[in-house]
Amino acid sequence: MATVTNWIDHLSASEVQGAIYPGVGTEGILVILLVCIWIGWHVIAGRQESEEHQKLARKRHGPNDWKSNITDG
Amino acid sequence: MTKPIIQLLKQIREEDMTDELGALTTIFTEFYYWITVVLMFLIHVGFCMYEVGASRYKHHQHTLMKNTMLIPLVTITWFLFGWWIYWAFPTGPGLAPSIMNESAALITDESAFSAKWYLPNSDLMAVNLGDHISGVFWAAFLLFAWTAASIVSGAVIERITTFAFGICAIAIGSVFWSIDAAWGWHFDGWMLKLLGYHDAYASGVIHAVAGGFALGILAVLGPRIGKFTSSGEPRNIGPRNPWLVAVGLFLIYTGFWGFYAACNIPIFDLGPEYGMEGVTYFTATNIYVTPTTLGGITMNFLMSLSGGLLTGYVIAKGDPFWTYSSGLAGIICASAGNDLYHPIQAMIIAMIGVVVAYKLHYWVERKFKIDDAVGAVAVHGYAGFAGLVICGFVLNGYPSSGYNVGAMWDGTTYAAINPLGMFIGAIVMFVVLGFIPGFIIAKILHGMGKLRIPREVEIAGLDYEIMEEARDDEKSVASATR
Repeated sequence: MATVTNWIDHLSASEVQGAIYPGVGTEGILVILLVCIWIGWHVIAGRQESEEHQKLARKRHGPNDWKSNITDG
Repeated sequence: MTKPIIQLLKQIREEDMTDELGALTTIFTEFYYWITVVLMFLIHVGFCMYEVGASRYKHHQHTLMKNTMLIPLVTITWFLFGWWIYWAFPTGPGLAPSIMNESAALITDESAFSAKWYLPNSDLMAVNLGDHISGVFWAAFLLFAWTAASIVSGAVIERITTFAFGICAIAIGSVFWSIDAAWGWHFDGWMLKLLGYHDAYASGVIHAVAGGFALGILAVLGPRIGKFTSSGEPRNIGPRNPWLVAVGLFLIYTGFWGFYAACNIPIFDLGPEYGMEGVTYFTATNIYVTPTTLGGITMNFLMSLSGGLLTGYVIAKGDPFWTYSSGLAGIICASAGNDLYHPIQAMIIAMIGVVVAYKLHYWVERKFKIDDAVGAVAVHGYAGFAGLVICGFVLNGYPSSGYNVGAMWDGTTYAAINPLGMFIGAIVMFVVLGFIPGFIIAKILHGMGKLRIPREVEIAGLDYEIMEEARDDEKSVASATR
């Protein structure tokens, strides 16, 4: 994975290669991973939120019921 | 018209790290933008505090989470496509040819400022010894994107789902702000060329567009339960923690310093840039590559803040919430031309902006039953819109860009700043790229049943279960003996 194994050789080359992160050339795969993580997050978080709302909505609390949950720290 | 672009390339993109002065300029520029990014982070801290302070106790934690989660969502989408859009769309596409390649298509060619370099799989979108600047520039624009999304966040508190807000945040932060910046906040933007659009510190490209977008969502989302009486009279749901609101707004002011600095290019030789043979003139410039000074814009920032605060205090009869917000509205209104205004002009423009924002807020609230929980549409949208229109009159005749020093592709020059062009520009920002997309996206989310939280949840409080669990935890800890 290492793009650079010797800094002296790297910086004294006639043209210094700019990209120095590991796995140069695998950027496309990394981007696909990022897209999957991004979309996946929306799906999972959206589902969690819907379930939480449905559960709470079924209990039909009154507008002031929350006050009984106040803690004194 | 290729000569100036070649110079721009030489000064910004062709870094010479073997020459001490060249390297120093590059590292200074890199560090300069890095500092602005850190300062601008405070805008988001401020927005979070402000929103929590403005929300009711039973919604606090969800309000905080909603705003916080826009950070990663806008960041990763800015990495994937937001930054690319900025560099690809200055031509419209199809509205005015680029001065770089004389094509009206998306700018995806091999030129120095092509979007091609900012695809997410580009090797410039990472640690790259050949490019010190792109990363911090990417970050500075990203922080602007967070701000645009965060402006929307405040308006919709206590009833939008986090899912829907996430979609809206990505839309305004990584798509519409990026398009409007390409059109009106880019040296090659079509709005500069055809309209003479000028918006140095983003009255329109951040504030008017985000305010308009928020209004579009609010029109579909509806008011919080209890905001209006059965006869339609608005009730005041004031901030529940004024101290948090005050500190939040002070932090937003602080971050705004960084925002102003980030809108400048810190050091630039305009002689060769403007094609002037043998002339060397180093200066700070705005995003349009026309000269200004950090000192001058600092004076204007403070004077417009002062104008906003003075007016807000009087018009809101000393109400702290509106006084602080008016300070912000004042800066926002003067921002379009704060690279050139006299400080007293900046102050007066700020005062006008606050009156417009305050009066319009309550008129729209009563007339259209719009519940803008924190006054975001007013402070950002109306003040930003007014600032663009005023700028068209006060800066009438100034060059809109550093590149109207010579003929463009068709022999004409960039349009100069003018009232009509700035008014049309304000419409483009607030309505075309703000209100309409916000309204359509909200309609789609509403149609999917994903826009608004259930009525029972809004009444009970989004945090009901978290608070209940905290109470049970506390009881169990309090009764513990070991």
